[in-house]
Amino acid sequence: MRLIIATLFLLAGVASPARSQEGIFPFEYRLVEIENGFKAYLIHAGAPGQIAYVSIVRTGSRDEVEEGKSGFAHFFEHMMFRGTEKYPNFDAVTAGMGAARNAFTGSDQTVYYEVVASEYLEQVMDLESDRFMNLKYAEPDFRTEAGAVLGEYQQGAMSPSRFLNEKVRETAFDRHTYRHTTIGFEADVRAMPEGYDYSLSFHQRFYRPENVVVIIAGDFDFDEAESLIGRYYAGWEPGYVAPEIPAEPVQTAPRRRTVDYPGRTLPVLTVNYKGPAWSATDKSAVAAEVLGRVAFGSNSDLYKQLVIEQRRVQYLREGFGLARDPSLLGISTMVIAPDDVPAVEEEIQATVRRFQEDLVDAQLLADTKSNMKYGFLMGLETAQNVAFRLIRYVINTGGIEAVNDYYRTLDTITAEDVRDAARQYLMEDGMTVVTMVQGGGA
Amino acid sequence: MMRKLTSLSVGLLLLAGCVPGAPEGTVALSEPASPFIAFNVWVKAGSQNDPAGQEGLAALTANLIAEGSTTEDSYDAILAKLYPMAARYGYSVDKEMTVFGGRVHRDNLEAYYTLFKNALLSPAFSEADFERVKSQTMNFLERTRRYGRDEELSKELLFWIDYSGTAYEHPEEGYVESVRSITLDDVRQFYDAHYLANNVTVGLGGGFDRALLSRVRADFDALAVGEVAAIPAPEPRMPNGVEVLIVEKETDASAISFGFPTALTRGHADFWPMVAMNSWFGEHRESFSHLYQVIRESRGMNYGDYSYIEAYPRGYTTQVPPTNVARRSQLFEIWIRPISLTAPGNLHDRTLFATRAAWRELKRLVDDGMTGETLETTQQFLKNYVLNWSATVSRRLGYAVDDAFYGVSDNGYLESIRPGIAALTLEQVNAAIRTHLQYDNMYLVFITADAEAMKQALLSGAETPITYAGEKSAEHMAEDAEIASFPIPVREENITIIGIDEVFER
Repeated sequence: MRLIIATLFLLAGVASPARSQEGIFPFEYRLVEIENGFKAYLIHAGAPGQIAYVSIVRTGSRDEVEEGKSGFAHFFEHMMFRGTEKYPNFDAVTAGMGAARNAFTGSDQTVYYEVVASEYLEQVMDLESDRFMNLKYAEPDFRTEAGAVLGEYQQGAMSPSRFLNEKVRETAFDRHTYRHTTIGFEADVRAMPEGYDYSLSFHQRFYRPENVVVIIAGDFDFDEAESLIGRYYAGWEPGYVAPEIPAEPVQTAPRRRTVDYPGRTLPVLTVNYKGPAWSATDKSAVAAEVLGRVAFGSNSDLYKQLVIEQRRVQYLREGFGLARDPSLLGISTMVIAPDDVPAVEEEIQATVRRFQEDLVDAQLLADTKSNMKYGFLMGLETAQNVAFRLIRYVINTGGIEAVNDYYRTLDTITAEDVRDAARQYLMEDGMTVVTMVQGGGA
Repeated sequence: MMRKLTSLSVGLLLLAGCVPGAPEGTVALSEPASPFIAFNVWVKAGSQNDPAGQEGLAALTANLIAEGSTTEDSYDAILAKLYPMAARYGYSVDKEMTVFGGRVHRDNLEAYYTLFKNALLSPAFSEADFERVKSQTMNFLERTRRYGRDEELSKELLFWIDYSGTAYEHPEEGYVESVRSITLDDVRQFYDAHYLANNVTVGLGGGFDRALLSRVRADFDALAVGEVAAIPAPEPRMPNGVEVLIVEKETDASAISFGFPTALTRGHADFWPMVAMNSWFGEHRESFSHLYQVIRESRGMNYGDYSYIEAYPRGYTTQVPPTNVARRSQLFEIWIRPISLTAPGNLHDRTLFATRAAWRELKRLVDDGMTGETLETTQQFLKNYVLNWSATVSRRLGYAVDDAFYGVSDNGYLESIRPGIAALTLEQVNAAIRTHLQYDNMYLVFITADAEAMKQALLSGAETPITYAGEKSAEHMAEDAEIASFPIPVREENITIIGIDEVFER
């Protein structure tokens, strides 16, 4: 076994953006990498006496390429709590530690975490590495857990935002797996009890050392943790097989759809464009994220106009946060008067045109950079939050180093870059407009 | 008053301390190493102070203050000033408390505090802001609350029937008709009557200095002084047998909540025994919960099953207990997350099976108590688990303000949990269970399809067996047979049916 110690940063306290020449990330950390491709980041942060142990699998609903298997990454996340030969009752062990532990799945990732007292570092590493390598469950347990996933599907099924998100994705994407939501299509969720064999292959393919990054943040000894990593993870056989995710063809004409929400709602209008993949260094990708805020965020002219002054909409939101593969840049708004929907859409289109033609106000751009940096720093309060803030960098790059790159790139974004992003990505041919209205008779 | 929180808990010492000689009317939680400063301003008024016919007024007032203009700045100017700091301030209104809170990086403290202070002390109460905030509230009342998330609605309905005829009866956001009738003048009057220097406590947490604390208190002393009429603590009626509310709605999943009033609040001698009981029986969103084990883990019926001895609004959004929902009266409450149909026609059987399963476990708890082993496991679990309840400065400050509400002296609630739990004996816990819990008298709420059929299923007492996608042991199936026929004795006159569009209308 070979340990590679790649980086050691030493910076005391929490930096302020103005003093961030060395990089925005303010904590001491160490990368431990072993021969099978497994990486762990050790970070001193948070309150004394506690650690957050966060395992990030770079697999999510994006990897669900097989027909009828939408929602499976999330279902598999549930199965990871079903025990191993060594620890048949995972829950009882974490309860004994008084751990706050849970997991969540997204398009690009499945994340497992335990927050425990520092004294449990070895025990939690033993437990985590064991289930990642040696998970074992019987088919009846698998079928039972499928029922819990159906219950999870139901508890949010009537949330208007989830309902609409499902429709937007399936309208905007033809081939890429971003076409489905993380929870999956209801028919696929109901068919899950039959997927036992598939679930075993899922673990074999994706739960491999090259595809998992662990972040341990908190109060603990780096040397001890490094030695434990060697002991507990070195025996993990590599063998990750990346799925062939279908590339989305270039969209050549705008798409429009109206969907009925089976409850009561005011109309919700969403205007979506095809964006780039996330990048820490590509100025156009970072500029696209800035564009969402300056054009449609809570401090934008359009927000002031539609929400505050004219009060024609209940809210205006932008979703320009990027993902591992090219995803959607979305604007959504709830319109108070149903017959005002076309005029509100025209206001959005006019804003798009304005940002394609004019340069963004210098103060607004500066304030937006400040907002993004302080937004990052404000999220670094606890060990768990520090680890969570780094998830996006791990998902997209396999490591956390890109956090400093991202904010360095952000510093260089100019008004011209923002205009270029608007011209490059907010293209009418790549647009998908979905309007959710109250269903008939309701 | 002044509260201190010198250390969080054994083994997890935070660099926190009281501020010596802190002024009256403050709660100060100093953590000098923190780069953040948290604010928590507690106005001693809540939805219980809403005048009859104006239910929702306290919430609308706080909403307008937190999301409206001040005499210094228009609302859009406030947003523009907050934006570069990535900071905001918000509000929460519960039965007895209104709280305004926020957190800022120390770099931006002065600019932030000016905005925060102006919002509370110099609200503009503009017509345009009022129209916007009221329209958003009406949309919530008429649409989102009724259609967005049935499980949360079923909990609100449980409190509604339990506290019928008391000041806790109405939901904090009010009714459709009552909020519709509220005018901007009503808001101004509510503010003038309740936002008083002597009715407001200011809380600061994190890396502030002492001068700021005095300054904030002095600033808030500029509010008028006055009297707020005391509202008697509610005395909810124990249900007479089983009293059922069924809300009819087109759905293929049922929401279920049930419970009854208790005499238990923080500070009661049986509080720690009941915390231990509840953690074992139904710890919120934890697989440690016994109800979770019975209904979700071994039967896969839903996403989770929990119980509560204190109000826990919006539990679906959080894994840690909410702060600033302190109350003088509490329920014992069981939350069964949505039960879905798995084949056409089996929704009510599954709904009743899950209800019976939870009820049967409650009966076993009351009749048999906890065992030495389950208590010990719970004590071990809680010893470290409770540390997660106080991870951020805003939460620690929230707890300290709640201590002020409850009059918890000594070391405060957070510091008392571990010794309180560690010292428990099995006899204490089981005596408390017998004193505070029972299973004969229950308020029961269902939101489900075909309410009349549900009513008939309840009245018939017929067995409601369920089937599984996989094989189960003989032992498991024998227990299922007991659950499927577990009695829920209910009389027809104790079942009320309402349509979803009548819910919280007036």
